[in-house]
Amino acid sequence: MKIYQNLIPTQFTINGKSVEVEVASGETALYTIRERLALKGTKEGCGIGECGACTIVVDGKAVNACLMPAPQLNGRDVLTVEGLEDSGEISPIQEAFLGNHAVQCGFCTPGLMMSTQALLKENTNPNHDEIVEAVSGNLCRCTGYEQIVSAVENAAERVSKRKVK
Amino acid sequence: MKEGLCYARPRKLGEALEFLHGHGDETTVVAGGTDVMIAFRSGKLDSKYILDISRLSELKGIEIHGDELWVGAGVTLSDIYVSETLARFAPALQRAAFTFGSKQIRNTATIGGNVGNASPSADTVPPLIVHEARAVLGSVGGERSVPIEALSSGPYKNTVRSGELITRFVLKPAEGLYSNFQKIARRKALAISRVSLAVIAGKDDTGKISFIRIALGSSTPTPRRIDEVEDFFMGKTPTESLIWEAGRMVATKMIEISGRRASTVYKEKAVQGLFMRILYPMVQ
Amino acid sequence: MKDSYKTVGRNIPRIGAVEKLKGAPVFSADLKLDNPLALRVLRSARSHARIIEMDIEPALHIEGVVRVFNADDIPGKNLTGIINKDQPLLVPDKVRFIGDAIALVAAENEEAAEKGVNAIKVVYEDLPAVFDPEEAMKEDAPKIHEKGNVLFTRKVKKGNVDKAFENCKTVVEKIYQTSCLEHTYLEPDAGAGYVDEDGTLVIYSSTQNPHYDHSEVVAILGLEDERVRVIQAATGGGFGSKLDLNVQGFIGLALYYLKRPVRYVFSREEAYLSTAKRHPLAITMKTGADINGKILATRARIICDTGAYASYGIAVASRSAVHATGPYEVDNVDVESICVYTNKPFSGAMRGFGAPQVAFAHESQIDLLAKELKMDPLEIRHINAFKPGGKTGTGQELSASVGICDCLDAIKPYYDQALKEWKRDEPPPFKQRGVGIGAMWYGIGNTGVKNPSTARVEMALDGGITLYTGCADIGQGSTTVLAQIASEILAIDMDTIRIVVGDTKWTTDAGATSASRQTYISGNAVKDAVEKLVELLLSGAVNALGVPRESLALESGFVVSSIDPAKKISFSELAKNYSEEFKPIVCKGYFDPETVPLDPETGRGIPYSTYAFASHLALVTVDTLTGEVSVEKIVAAHDVGKAIYPEGVKGQIYGGTAMGIGFALMEDYVPGQTVSMKDYFIPTCKDMPKVIPIIVESAEPTGPFGAKGVGEPALIPTAPAILNALADALGERIYTLPANLERVLEASIKSGHFGPKEVKNV
Repeated sequence: MKIYQNLIPTQFTINGKSVEVEVASGETALYTIRERLALKGTKEGCGIGECGACTIVVDGKAVNACLMPAPQLNGRDVLTVEGLEDSGEISPIQEAFLGNHAVQCGFCTPGLMMSTQALLKENTNPNHDEIVEAVSGNLCRCTGYEQIVSAVENAAERVSKRKVK
Repeated sequence: MKEGLCYARPRKLGEALEFLHGHGDETTVVAGGTDVMIAFRSGKLDSKYILDISRLSELKGIEIHGDELWVGAGVTLSDIYVSETLARFAPALQRAAFTFGSKQIRNTATIGGNVGNASPSADTVPPLIVHEARAVLGSVGGERSVPIEALSSGPYKNTVRSGELITRFVLKPAEGLYSNFQKIARRKALAISRVSLAVIAGKDDTGKISFIRIALGSSTPTPRRIDEVEDFFMGKTPTESLIWEAGRMVATKMIEISGRRASTVYKEKAVQGLFMRILYPMVQ
Repeated sequence: MKDSYKTVGRNIPRIGAVEKLKGAPVFSADLKLDNPLALRVLRSARSHARIIEMDIEPALHIEGVVRVFNADDIPGKNLTGIINKDQPLLVPDKVRFIGDAIALVAAENEEAAEKGVNAIKVVYEDLPAVFDPEEAMKEDAPKIHEKGNVLFTRKVKKGNVDKAFENCKTVVEKIYQTSCLEHTYLEPDAGAGYVDEDGTLVIYSSTQNPHYDHSEVVAILGLEDERVRVIQAATGGGFGSKLDLNVQGFIGLALYYLKRPVRYVFSREEAYLSTAKRHPLAITMKTGADINGKILATRARIICDTGAYASYGIAVASRSAVHATGPYEVDNVDVESICVYTNKPFSGAMRGFGAPQVAFAHESQIDLLAKELKMDPLEIRHINAFKPGGKTGTGQELSASVGICDCLDAIKPYYDQALKEWKRDEPPPFKQRGVGIGAMWYGIGNTGVKNPSTARVEMALDGGITLYTGCADIGQGSTTVLAQIASEILAIDMDTIRIVVGDTKWTTDAGATSASRQTYISGNAVKDAVEKLVELLLSGAVNALGVPRESLALESGFVVSSIDPAKKISFSELAKNYSEEFKPIVCKGYFDPETVPLDPETGRGIPYSTYAFASHLALVTVDTLTGEVSVEKIVAAHDVGKAIYPEGVKGQIYGGTAMGIGFALMEDYVPGQTVSMKDYFIPTCKDMPKVIPIIVESAEPTGPFGAKGVGEPALIPTAPAILNALADALGERIYTLPANLERVLEASIKSGHFGPKEVKNV
């Protein structure tokens, strides 16, 4: 078993792209994503897993990037907000948030959409309670969540429609 | 980030135990990271090594083994949340997952980490207690098992020895009994328990309590079983006033152990109140 | 004002939303800079102490530390403040709260900056500290500021309250106490900067008022205006906290000396420690009503704890005094609101400026009166609510746009249904159900002072329109609303308008994004600018087309004659006709609400030129065993004058309701104990009830398309409605906020709800 001093070579896919990056032992995935990969869409709101602004999707599950040790990214499939678009076209989730006016200051938005993405991957037709459960780890101080929940409901419909097509 | 901090990711449990045998005193074990990374951020941990056990398959799994229910230390709170085995054999533990942190936290936080962190408000502990759980500790020397209550000697102090790793929990399954976990918190998600209770209870054909286990959390330095109140209930028909009286006994026990603090004015009543709420379904 | 418009009143996609959905907006922490320095402030560890000695040498020896600044390094003025300039950027002599800024460390990276801060040795001489405002008001209290601990008193006096109380059928007097709150916007305060090729100090900042930031930085550095440029970076919420300086002064100072790019991003912990908080208010209120429920007199003594520095203290004292009667016509008023310094984190602006706190009092009072008189709470509010022509406590006649009764009417069907069905149904075991109402009024703009906005619109030679506004959009949607106004008047598509926001090089001061003022005041400034442009276009068209002016209309970038549709001329051609030296046509707009300063003894005057009104209905379930409260439903009716962007208005209502729930039930900032987000609770999605927003449009004649404002009104009636519902549920009232687990359980015990019915002895 190799013991790494300081920097650990880490290989993973992020937004469909394969990357190799060296991360420090005590580094967080949030730091890796923002500083080493220069993907600024994932935000730091509190640094201690209490706000969800740093939510990313790892192997289909929503996690707080600020609490994830960066070396644990190794071998994983990671999605951040930058990966939602498809060749310049916004995703059904983004369309739903737009159409339901669910964005105000926009700081919590990337994390929220990641939680939505993870939810819809595991549950294509979530009910109201399941939606609320999925986004309760994402704090928002602007919107009061109502339009966000509508957006997630709408996103579920849009994603289903796309699949049927 | 600390300079000189070393990182190791064992692929097998044996590797991990080997490492801990040699470096246990200078090592912080990390699984989900939801407690450890916070401690690192605030500069509270200054170990030389991080041992990442998050991928050890030997620590996973929720299975019935004969008359025992095994839950791997590396099982996440999300695994617990959806487990059909637990829904059937340990609903109290599953219910603790329902109100644990947030979905993001549950996806990586492990039961071993929650127990090992030894917070007085660790939500998995009261359910483990009522299932008379034992924690299995592995080391290069073999395994030893201890009652779950013995794993914590005080707030944030676990009794895991140097070189040891919690590998699994062994529970007594409780199928078909009334089984519940409830907590009081300041909001409905992302909130640490102020008071929590886990119970398993069963009645005989005459409606009298024939089996009962009660554990109180977030109210004493470590979560604990309340044997006296269990004894009080045995053979009695649960009524509102009986539960109310028993709830007062639980509160008294709490004060006996924790003394009177600023929070006692509230907790003394809230413990009694929560106790009524959680056992009320037994009144029929 | 028409009934239907092309953009105004329509739910167009919010400007900037797509970028936000892509994670694209550049917040200060995201800004790409060339090897920036990291900044960190050394903050006081004492509540009240003189700085005897500060040794920065150990910090300078830390690898990576580039420079350590203290008060002596400030080239210009070291006193800042949004109203009173009493807050040093870096304390030169004595610290006044734990968190006061003493020194600034600039280093190559954050770790070195942190180490540098920890290495500085400070020798304090402790001074007696005072934490309670009543104590601070005493003669012998330790002086926090030279001029004494009472910052300001606002009085509103009208009629004769003592006489009026004698004529009342019932009089209630209670003391209400609200807690200190923290804004907890999702983006911690942050900024960044660099020095431009021409030597301009460019500062990006997460802010609600870039032009104010600019004025402070030039004063701190002793520079001419053009030497500093402040740009509002993408800002993740503010709610009043990002009105005061947070990082801008420090960034300016570092740029001034070091001439290297810098960045300063607060951790959440630093934001919690050092930024503005909500004033806790202690309100003693006495209200009396006659036999018909008409309130005859209100007396209130309000103490506002402004902490170590003034910030918006004067505004909070003024607003709380003016709004103390509630949206009700009361002929006899005696209110004093006193703003007091203490050695605690300073209180500043937070959504509502004292109105949310005072609404808790006046709405509880009116419910108490209703109970005494055995009247329905909705009915007693109707009787007292302002009608057009009503006179306020400051002697102002509310002539138009007084929608409070419409709001009460809007919630009535839900109220009736809740009483008939929901409340009558048997609640689950050990739960109690309560229904409560809250109502409010809120003056738009700063209280009784000039607070103008300016705007500029330019038309290029190709007819392209650019709108310049210093109005900071912090998520509430002002950019969208202002564009809608311009688009509507010019009859062009919104996406053809280019908008430049919050950049002191290009925009002009629109005043702060606060006091719910931007739709009304900046909206009017934009309207003014655009109407001036329209004047030019119409005049030019008259000349060019030779048709009467009355026949002309604007349509998709053309001025068209209704008499002969073939006669039309494009904006572009008109631009070319007008333009001198090929420069774009520039029209400037201005608007300042018509106010009259309040008399210092009586408060008489016109504090605001228009008021928003609202009423909320709350349905709550109380767990009588544990003190937990579930808010089941909120119906929120808001008179906004005109909803220019209806989904935006609803977004404010939902968000404000969430904040109101936090204020009512769970938010409590305790200096020293509230360290991180683990310690402070704002509602999660799971805590939210069903919210039914109802937009009431009682058009404001002086507002753009009749609009007033909603940003702060959104949260003001919520907590009062919830607290009234709790009192209804338990029969025991709570007078201190938040109505947290402890207080609700205590009320449950006091009212005999705690425990099984058959057991009396608890």
